[in-house]
Amino acid sequence: MKILIIEDEKALQESIVRYLEHQGFVCEAVNDFLSGKEKVINYIYDCIVVDVGLPFGNGLDIVKELKYMESQAGIIIISAKNTLDDKLNGLDLGADDYLAKPFYLSELTARINAIIRRRNFGGNKAIVFNEIRLEAEAQRVTVNNKPVNFTDKEYRLLEYFIANQRRLLTKAAIAEHIWGDEYLHASNYDFIYTHIKNLRKKLIDAGSNDYIKTAHGSGYRFTDL
Amino acid sequence: MIPLLSVAGFYLFGEFSKEINYRSDKELVSDEIEWIQYLENEAENGTSLILKAPDVSITPTNETVSGEPSITDVNEFNAKENHTVFYRQLSQVISVSGISYRLVIRQSQEQKTALVADVTRIMLFVFAGLFAATLIFNWVISKRLWKPFRRSLQKIRNAELQKMESLHFENTHTKEFNELNTSLNFMAGKIYNDYVNMKEFTENAAHEMQTPVAIAQSKLELLLQDTNLKDEQVQSIMDTATALSRLSKLNEGLLLLAKIENNQYTSTNEINLTQVTKKYLQLFNEFIKDKQLTVTTNFEKDFIIKLHPILADSLVTNLLGNAIKYNFTAGNIEIDIFENTCRISNTSMLEAIPKDKLFKRMFASKDNRETSNGLGLAIVKKIADVNNFRIDYYAKDGMHTFQIVK
Repeated sequence: MKILIIEDEKALQESIVRYLEHQGFVCEAVNDFLSGKEKVINYIYDCIVVDVGLPFGNGLDIVKELKYMESQAGIIIISAKNTLDDKLNGLDLGADDYLAKPFYLSELTARINAIIRRRNFGGNKAIVFNEIRLEAEAQRVTVNNKPVNFTDKEYRLLEYFIANQRRLLTKAAIAEHIWGDEYLHASNYDFIYTHIKNLRKKLIDAGSNDYIKTAHGSGYRFTDL
Repeated sequence: MIPLLSVAGFYLFGEFSKEINYRSDKELVSDEIEWIQYLENEAENGTSLILKAPDVSITPTNETVSGEPSITDVNEFNAKENHTVFYRQLSQVISVSGISYRLVIRQSQEQKTALVADVTRIMLFVFAGLFAATLIFNWVISKRLWKPFRRSLQKIRNAELQKMESLHFENTHTKEFNELNTSLNFMAGKIYNDYVNMKEFTENAAHEMQTPVAIAQSKLELLLQDTNLKDEQVQSIMDTATALSRLSKLNEGLLLLAKIENNQYTSTNEINLTQVTKKYLQLFNEFIKDKQLTVTTNFEKDFIIKLHPILADSLVTNLLGNAIKYNFTAGNIEIDIFENTCRISNTSMLEAIPKDKLFKRMFASKDNRETSNGLGLAIVKKIADVNNFRIDYYAKDGMHTFQIVK
């Protein structure tokens, strides 16, 4: 999977590249409008992550260019300007998703995964992690080819875990992914625990290994290591 | 005005009085001459005369003859008519054929009293007339002459920061007002520019702040992946991440406040707050269950209000969110919605919020500094103010109530 990151903040760009490479993506990164445009014209990517505010141009123009070329690449806009107009503009131009800064790298990874899976028309849309298999369209999960019933939240949690496999996920990142901004109104993250406990129990009951590891005080890790 | 008129009155009276005195004196003197002639004629006939009439008296006297007649003002009380009568009186001792007579001739000064009354009346009349004229004149001036001034004044009174751009003070026929209006135009332009700059600065600053936060957050996330970290190090990273996320949410809150203030969320569409409340009850269901809260709802009628959907969401999430967050385990939430009132009450261990701090920015309750940025109620209040509805708060017997009133 080839990803292009167009982001002028060097430090952020590096973080994104490091995290994505760790998750098995092949990344290329540029830090201005012109080299970004050059890249999208000359090469083919599965997904393009583009910042709106760039030197020498606006990231939205790259989105326009990609649509003009009828590119099949998924597009995620990242922007420091979390305004409704900005967001609607980007999505109207044909971007697949919009992420406001600051965002969790794990969130970006989950979104890239979702987009690539949706775009992978001919190919296999299932997500496989050892004995666990997620059929995204039907939201069906099988463990060792036997179907397991999950609630909507449990499914999304599992999907998120697998997209960010082997990474430590903080409770805040998990809460924001599953519950959005609403989680801010909870007094604590206790409610996450219930869902993770249920997910874990269902997986083990279905004969899966115990992949969910609790990192004391910080969060959870989904790992087979 | 009044002293001037009095002086004029006195002067006028004095002049008239002098004139009248002069004339009556002349008359008196000519009368005297006639009387003397008459006396002399009578004396030639050998008769001496004593005459006592109201106006003339001729009495023989032993006094020495006076050269000049003395003319004086006299007043005499008339008992019959019960008022004092003024006279001009000529008195002279004359000698006719060796006999000395005292000749007294008087002339009534009634007309002079009448004159005083007349002068006073005229003066009063003139004064009243002038006074009325002045009032009318003033009124006309303030109506006509000050009209452009009042128009400008009205414009200044109605001026709003956001609409300063369209504020224009027109040219008038008065040079001074033109100067004033030119200055006002200049000032309004400058205020608007400053305001726009300030607004842009606030927005840009808030936006720009998110980028460094994003960098720091991404670095912390990467750092956390290091499996060799000690527990304390992980804890430090987590605390930093939490603080960072608070900073970012605070920033978002301030930005939202600024946008509401700048009227960036105006809506002509009506929204059903009852529906929004139901939606968020669903979304918050998990947190409500987690805290074992009992929610009692009474959706009597739909609460329809003109509000931007984003603000409606913000309003309900803040109020409902607070009702959950500041509640205790197994507490209660009561929601009553009527046609014109939407009421959300919750039980809480916290004391009633002091009135003066209720909707203040950054006033987070001491017990909740970590989970609150203290902007929620300020945002609620701002939404209410901008969209012309009222928000009330009261606390009674451990039950805190927020009420939206149309």
